[in-house]
Amino acid sequence: MAEDFVIEMQHITKEFPGIKANDDITLQLRRGEVHALLGENGAGKSTLMSVLFGLYQPEKGIIKKDGKEVRIKDPNDANDLGIGMVHQHFKLVECFSVLDNIMLGVEPCKGGFLQKDVARKKVVALSEKYGLRVDPDALVSEISVGMQQRVEILKMLYRDNEILIFDEPTAVLTPQEIEELMEIMRGFKKEGKSILFITHKLNEIMEVADRCTVLRKGKGIGTVNIADTTKEELSRMMVGRDVQFEVEKVPAKPGEVVLDIQDMVVPSKVHKNNAVKGVSFQVRQGEIVCLAGIEGNGQTELIYGLTGLEKITGGKVLFQGKDITHATIRERSKSGMSHIPEDRHKHGLVLDYTLEKNMVLQRYWEPEFQHNGFIRRDAVRRYSDRLIREYDVRSSQGSETIVRGMSGGNQQKAIIAREIDRDPKLLVAVQPTRGLDVGAIENVHKQIVAQRDAGKAVLLVSLELDEVMNLSDRILVMYEGEIVGEFDPRTTTVQELGLYMAGAKKQQGVQ
Amino acid sequence: MLLLIKYTLLYGIVLMLVALGGMFSEHSGVINIALEGIMVIGGLAGVLVVAALPAGTSPAILVALAILVAAAAGMVYALLLAFASIHLKADQTVGGTALNMLATAIAIILAKNFNGSTSAKISYTNKAFLFNIGGLELSVFIPLGLVLLIVSYVVMYKTRFGLRLRACGEHPQAANSVGISVYTMRYCGVLISGLLGGIGGLAYVIPSVQTWNFEVGVAGTGFLALAVMIFGQWKPINIFGAAMFFAVFKSLANIADSTILAQLGWSNNIYNMMPFIASMVILAFTSKNSMAPKAEGIPYDKSSR
Amino acid sequence: MAKNNFLGLRQKSSGILASLLCILIGLAIGLVALFIINFQHAWGDGFIRIIQGGFYDFPYGVGKTLTSAAPLIMTGLSVAFAFKTGLFNIGAAGQYTLGAFGALYCALMLGLPWYLCLLAATLFGAVWGAIPGIFKAYLNINEVITSIMFNWIGLYLVNEIVYARGTGAMYDAHNTRTWKLATNAPQALIPSCGMSELFHTNNTTIAIFLAIVVAIVVWVVLDKTTFGYELKAVGLNKNAAKYAGINEKKNIILSMTIAGALAGFGAGLFYLSGGGEWNPLNSTSLPAMGFNGIATALLAGSHPIGTIFSSLFISHITVGGSFLPTKYFPTEIADLISGIIIYLCAFSMLFRGRIEKLLLRDQDKTNVNAEPAKPKKEGV
Repeated sequence: MAEDFVIEMQHITKEFPGIKANDDITLQLRRGEVHALLGENGAGKSTLMSVLFGLYQPEKGIIKKDGKEVRIKDPNDANDLGIGMVHQHFKLVECFSVLDNIMLGVEPCKGGFLQKDVARKKVVALSEKYGLRVDPDALVSEISVGMQQRVEILKMLYRDNEILIFDEPTAVLTPQEIEELMEIMRGFKKEGKSILFITHKLNEIMEVADRCTVLRKGKGIGTVNIADTTKEELSRMMVGRDVQFEVEKVPAKPGEVVLDIQDMVVPSKVHKNNAVKGVSFQVRQGEIVCLAGIEGNGQTELIYGLTGLEKITGGKVLFQGKDITHATIRERSKSGMSHIPEDRHKHGLVLDYTLEKNMVLQRYWEPEFQHNGFIRRDAVRRYSDRLIREYDVRSSQGSETIVRGMSGGNQQKAIIAREIDRDPKLLVAVQPTRGLDVGAIENVHKQIVAQRDAGKAVLLVSLELDEVMNLSDRILVMYEGEIVGEFDPRTTTVQELGLYMAGAKKQQGVQ
Repeated sequence: MLLLIKYTLLYGIVLMLVALGGMFSEHSGVINIALEGIMVIGGLAGVLVVAALPAGTSPAILVALAILVAAAAGMVYALLLAFASIHLKADQTVGGTALNMLATAIAIILAKNFNGSTSAKISYTNKAFLFNIGGLELSVFIPLGLVLLIVSYVVMYKTRFGLRLRACGEHPQAANSVGISVYTMRYCGVLISGLLGGIGGLAYVIPSVQTWNFEVGVAGTGFLALAVMIFGQWKPINIFGAAMFFAVFKSLANIADSTILAQLGWSNNIYNMMPFIASMVILAFTSKNSMAPKAEGIPYDKSSR
Repeated sequence: MAKNNFLGLRQKSSGILASLLCILIGLAIGLVALFIINFQHAWGDGFIRIIQGGFYDFPYGVGKTLTSAAPLIMTGLSVAFAFKTGLFNIGAAGQYTLGAFGALYCALMLGLPWYLCLLAATLFGAVWGAIPGIFKAYLNINEVITSIMFNWIGLYLVNEIVYARGTGAMYDAHNTRTWKLATNAPQALIPSCGMSELFHTNNTTIAIFLAIVVAIVVWVVLDKTTFGYELKAVGLNKNAAKYAGINEKKNIILSMTIAGALAGFGAGLFYLSGGGEWNPLNSTSLPAMGFNGIATALLAGSHPIGTIFSSLFISHITVGGSFLPTKYFPTEIADLISGIIIYLCAFSMLFRGRIEKLLLRDQDKTNVNAEPAKPKKEGV
């Protein structure tokens, strides 16, 4: 081959217990191109990049740099080869300064003593050259997410890396910040740096990438030139069939008000301000209201305040006409509030309990399942077996399976089964399709619509605009702890929502 | 008063050395409950050297050798903690507790064996470790301790090693992603705590008396050092201050009856209790904003990211 | 169904095997130590006597084993109970200290009968356990640190009250210990029901049966009740427990309180059996019973019933150690062995994983024919 590949990964296979994360994948990166790596959650993108970055050793396959085979045993080797990576979850030490974080690992030293002045000069020069504005002396814990990403990028530049890996860099950014990032990437390309860009967002690929390699379920599906392809084709390659972009549903018939939130204020755990600043809205029977917004704009805290996981410091919550502002979690649950939590491992499941014990997580105390404080095992078993059957929860040992050993999709199905089967008046679903494959997502969407059609009130929190547009009957956009706009999905566009989500626009008198 | 200063300095230096040891270990990400045991082993090893060397040995060699052996013994013992908690990913507090229990048993067995009798008391002369300034009898551990304090501060905040060590205790995944070996750094942290803890053990045993009964171990000093480290918020200079503050109470426990404080009628138990209560108060007030290394106590697993 | 039972059994047996492995390695290292100390007598006068334990001097030795096993079961349960709920109760020693004080105060000062003294011991231990629980629940301070601090605070406090500069009414200056219950408060002694006569001792009582009954109760509570369900849920995932409407703060405090109560009860069993007297001049070390409880809990894999057996075993070798001829060996060899056993237990999960894999491999071999049925079952 005469082509100038700066990196070639050939026939990479990487196995984890029970799963082949990468199965014979080949990836070729040309010098000076932006190469996108596309795939769904769990397609093996991150694993492949971790192999390239020396965090994992592949079972099979070789890596070539400039045509010569190399072995990358750890990130040091990757760095020596000029490979740098911006991780999806930033690898920054919170209580260190920006400067300390950038130089960590390649500190300029004299006899073991740090020479911070040398490092500072270099950082300042780089940040000016590429327009990456940072304050070298600020603590990482005190700067914005966007700036933290700039610190990560500076870490690569500081190491004179030529091959830059971006692992889902746009997930945490506002549309404006994403635009800036694209500009920065184009700048790197001009400098002759080669970029690997991991994402599952088609628009971004079309905008910035030269070529795209698609992965599906651990296998390489193919590499295409962006100029010769379309979004639809990429999407087909990614999921293996045409995506059903529409969820079938009949128009909503909203009934009585079930949930009425008035001027809710919730303090933040991260900073000193309030995370939710006086939010008011209502949810009625038979409608799906969706809270849209970029991650970290108060949605999580609002749900915590609503479900009782966090105390609210202002405002009222009325549920079916009753004031539940100060009710306990148990009382809210008893009065008909179901909650599919954002983080199933943190809140949704006791991973080391069996499936049956998790199925009665909020109900173990009901007379049906206990007698004089003793758990009625047979009743629990019968109930759990029924849910498993009706909601098609798959596991190796049925009710006796330890939940930790189940797949993420089936864990989520178990939670959804549990929450829906309690026949709630209000279903609070927070990112219910996070980390699920396409088939499972469709299933979850159908369940949620069925709940609405059965006359339940549904409050959905989602970060995926497609999900927001398809599923909801009403859309509320949250930005910095406030509701900045209310929309009808039939009359608005994704672009319009994006402007509100980024704080560029705000409706007057929404609240 | 002179007596109070003497006891405070002697005991304060011990607490500071051991607490600094704990600090290095915790900044690397390993909780070191085993400080008590490390002190016992270090103290025993040092004392055995002093007791075993012939009477004519030059004081300088005697002192140097005893301190080196104590430090080495402490490091070897700390290696057991490092191995269990870093390589085998054991529960660090359980492992540390086991090592504390083991240390006393080992010390008694070795001491009895050394004596060839059923007594765990070892006698020695401590002259070589003591010197006089203006009527104040001090031990060599005081200048040594102050030097080690300065060295600790410089290492922690001015060197590459310190920066990397702290990174491992705060965010090991981040450290690993820039090519720092978390395992190596944690071994270093725990070994340094063994070194300082071992010297601290010797510094506790040697200067004040000429016979030590190893059945009492080091009487909870290692745990008090843990309190000192918390009180000092994992920072060298603060640890020095906290150590001296705690040492005042401990000294009062010994000599209160012979001073004006006798009128208060407090017994040594009350003074002994004070430092522990003080550190609980500090813990209670700083709990919302703890300076403890974030990743301490969590075994590092390369495959979890 | 049969297969599922087999899987459960396999997990249990791998735990037991891991513990046995810890014991074997501990004994082996003890043996090496014996050989190093005195090669000639290491086997017959050393190792065999440790292994024989109380049976070396039957029935007296066995009586001794039972006397010390009773409190050890309780401190073991204390640690195991906390472990089950995700807490490490290194404070059993302090709770035991307070329990001892409660029992002795009620016995010597108030002249109460044994069961009330035992109740007092339990209550005092419970209070001392509750404190780290409160710090953990409301301030999120690691219970290990708090427990360590309160161990020492408790020791100094009890010594201060008992000794009171030599004027304490409970203090017998002649023996430098608290007064003997047998002479000063016989009403407070736990009934022997003929046990002492049977074993030729003067301090073997029904304490051992009380301890076993409590162990069974603890097992039932943890395994069969909604209360146990809540406690374990909090221990395994505090956030999920909160989400489920369980008051996780209340459960953390309750768990530590109960752990403290168990340790205090253990102290009551020991001192009210006349197993010993409190020495308030000893301000340099905490009661070893508290820390040995950590050993027995770990060895039992925190299983309440297992704790009975592990405590009997640790008592057995400790008594065996005390029968070692002191002219050849220090009696602390037994402590060395139990110390090594806990050290090994600290990473016994590793053994457990290995053993489980071994068993699994065997099972796969024997079950080759059963394999095709599995996917079908999943697909239903």
